[in-house]
Amino acid sequence: MATASAYRSPGFDFSNEIRNNFLSERGVPLPKATSTGTTIVGCLFKDGIVLGADTRATEGPIVADKNCEKIHFITDSIRCCGAGTAADTEFTTAMISSNMELHALSTGRKPRVVTAMTMLKQYLFRHQGQVGAALVLGGVDATGPHLFTIHPHGSTDKLPYVTMGSGSLAAMAVFEAGWRPNMERAEALDLVTTAVSAGIFNDLGSGSNVDACVITASHTEMLRNYVKPNERVQKERSYGFRRGTTAWKSESIRQMVVEEDITFIAPEAMDTS
Amino acid sequence: MPDGSYERPQQRQFNPYSENGGTILAIAGADFSVIAGDTRQSEGYSIQTRYAPKVFRLTERAVLAVNGFAADGNMFVKKVKQRLEWYRHAHAKDMPLRAIARLIQTMLYAQRFFPYYVYNILGGIEEDGTGAVYSFDPVGSYEREACRAAGAAQSLVQPFLDNQIYFKNQTPAPGTNHPTHLPLPDVLSIVIDSFTSATERHIEVGDGLEIYVVLAKGRSTQELASIGGLQELSTRAEGDRMFVIRRDLKKD
Amino acid sequence: MFLTRSEYDRGVNTFSPEGRLFQVEYAIEAIKLGSTTVGVKTPEGVVLAVEKRVQSPLLESSSIEKIMEIDGHLGCAMSGLTADARTMIDHARVTSQNHAFTYDERIKVESVTQAVCDLALRFGESVHDEDAMMSRPFGVALLIAGIDELGPQLFHTDPSGTFVRYEAKAIGSGSEAAQTELQDKWHSQMTLREAQTLTLRVLKQVMEEKLDHHNVQLAQVTPQAGFEILDEVRLKEIVDAM
Repeated sequence: MATASAYRSPGFDFSNEIRNNFLSERGVPLPKATSTGTTIVGCLFKDGIVLGADTRATEGPIVADKNCEKIHFITDSIRCCGAGTAADTEFTTAMISSNMELHALSTGRKPRVVTAMTMLKQYLFRHQGQVGAALVLGGVDATGPHLFTIHPHGSTDKLPYVTMGSGSLAAMAVFEAGWRPNMERAEALDLVTTAVSAGIFNDLGSGSNVDACVITASHTEMLRNYVKPNERVQKERSYGFRRGTTAWKSESIRQMVVEEDITFIAPEAMDTS
Repeated sequence: MPDGSYERPQQRQFNPYSENGGTILAIAGADFSVIAGDTRQSEGYSIQTRYAPKVFRLTERAVLAVNGFAADGNMFVKKVKQRLEWYRHAHAKDMPLRAIARLIQTMLYAQRFFPYYVYNILGGIEEDGTGAVYSFDPVGSYEREACRAAGAAQSLVQPFLDNQIYFKNQTPAPGTNHPTHLPLPDVLSIVIDSFTSATERHIEVGDGLEIYVVLAKGRSTQELASIGGLQELSTRAEGDRMFVIRRDLKKD
Repeated sequence: MFLTRSEYDRGVNTFSPEGRLFQVEYAIEAIKLGSTTVGVKTPEGVVLAVEKRVQSPLLESSSIEKIMEIDGHLGCAMSGLTADARTMIDHARVTSQNHAFTYDERIKVESVTQAVCDLALRFGESVHDEDAMMSRPFGVALLIAGIDELGPQLFHTDPSGTFVRYEAKAIGSGSEAAQTELQDKWHSQMTLREAQTLTLRVLKQVMEEKLDHHNVQLAQVTPQAGFEILDEVRLKEIVDAM
């Protein structure tokens, strides 16, 4: 084609849209995306923010990943928990993380949590809910600790304790019963653990371990697998197979080592003319 | 429209069925039968209860596992038990296993156009003293087999059973043959491993495990001696004997 | 019993003040008019034999059917109003097939007998505004023979819906003499062959005509062959050997 060029517009490529709509009309469904049918939480305490998340990723009713990371890095003192379509949460947070770094570089200041929140909500709103990311954004900046939820359509809330994902109701029940203003770090971490655990045990979309992240003005502590209440149990049998178990129809052995003879020829003088 | 009629045809739909997760399986040995199920009952992402039995003792030598729509399953078991009692009164004996299997077919097929949304697996001891497993689809197609898994994690467990029980895709060592029936301890291990593995990778499987073991008359109970969480259900020591093994599964 | 006859013999569901149902009693009387029928149980199987009254030389004796198959493992001989037996045997056949269909097993002899007797009591039954299916009791008695997991068995049913298990039983016009003979000759370790000759001997004693392979019918239920009515060749052989 004459118009063919190496240029590709930035952002999403919609060129398969018409074909895919046609296929789904004919009964060919879209492939199922990995979702983090999830419990993610965050709460405010005396010195900052505690974020928490479970570690189960699902594909329908199947557990796709038993120990995935749902607390994403935004900046040194801002983190973002993601629920929804795994690819969307990962890509969106990574992209915003990059933009935050660029923003920090161009302004020469530590970026604020609201900045990340605004970038995220504008991005999500622009895509009209098609980017399936439900986020809990938390961090500490020059203006103090901040905690937000961001919904896939771009709406946001600023609250002292928040939950999201399929386990949000179980986790919120814990917060509603136990959260108090100005909690100590240990208390807050405990409460977050209990809230995520409520999701792990009562919501089928959530499971495995508790990840936590404590963010204060001076320090961010990522507590990967802070609690592991669901260790894999020992199998009754070992399932090794005798050599020769797999049948074969024919055998051919290929020589992978290639031998080559190298003949050295008298070097020629370099052409420097 | 002013007269109360609708401009366009309207459609209303009520779906009387639901799916309550969980998995069941059964394996037949030469002179025993093992029937197991997890005890989680769920709907969507919620757990309705962590202990809802899916495996039921029908007679001294027959056990029925039901999986699918729990309300239908419970009702179906209730009706099968009622028919067994009627049979006992009419014919002065317990219904034999293959008769129960056929009865279940007729009961399921009677609901051909409003089916019980249930997969059934029947296990126990036949009149000739052999271990047996019968599996059914929701409208009554049935077959006697050596092993069967059904329910949420069927697609995870059945291939494992095919490999470990039927030795599919395993060529025997030269000059040897695969056994037709496995010994009881091996079967129990495979059953437990099936459920712990299904619990790991399927969100609707977990909480508890109930394994029913039916031993043919006169068979030694020695192999069960070392099993934890064992309880005997048979009322008399002669005749066939029945046991249940209860284990915990992960609860996340 | 005819001395106490009163208006109470009109309704099939009216007891007399002495507590009797006359129509049922009369039905039992009707059996005593029927041809003699004998059944004998042995460890090897059950034998049934009936007398066929050939009233006319023009009658095709082979068309008289007094022994019928209920199922592969069940047979039945009758005495009395044999037309009534058709209804009962039809019911027994349906019950037996239904059982096999529902349970994938052969119905027990006692169960099929019970089913027939349940039907026998259904006379005079009617739902409001609906004609009764049967207006009177059956005028026939049956000897039901069969084999199940409990071994060979022989049952006797009468119009009152009562059924009793027997080792050997005779019904019909010559039943009294025949039963006495059976009591005399029957023993628990009989072979099937002995039972065949016994039933024929008993029939011979009570029959007016000379017994031959045209005026009797013999059937048996064995674990090997199930129910079978013996053909004239086999029957003749037994008659000749007798």
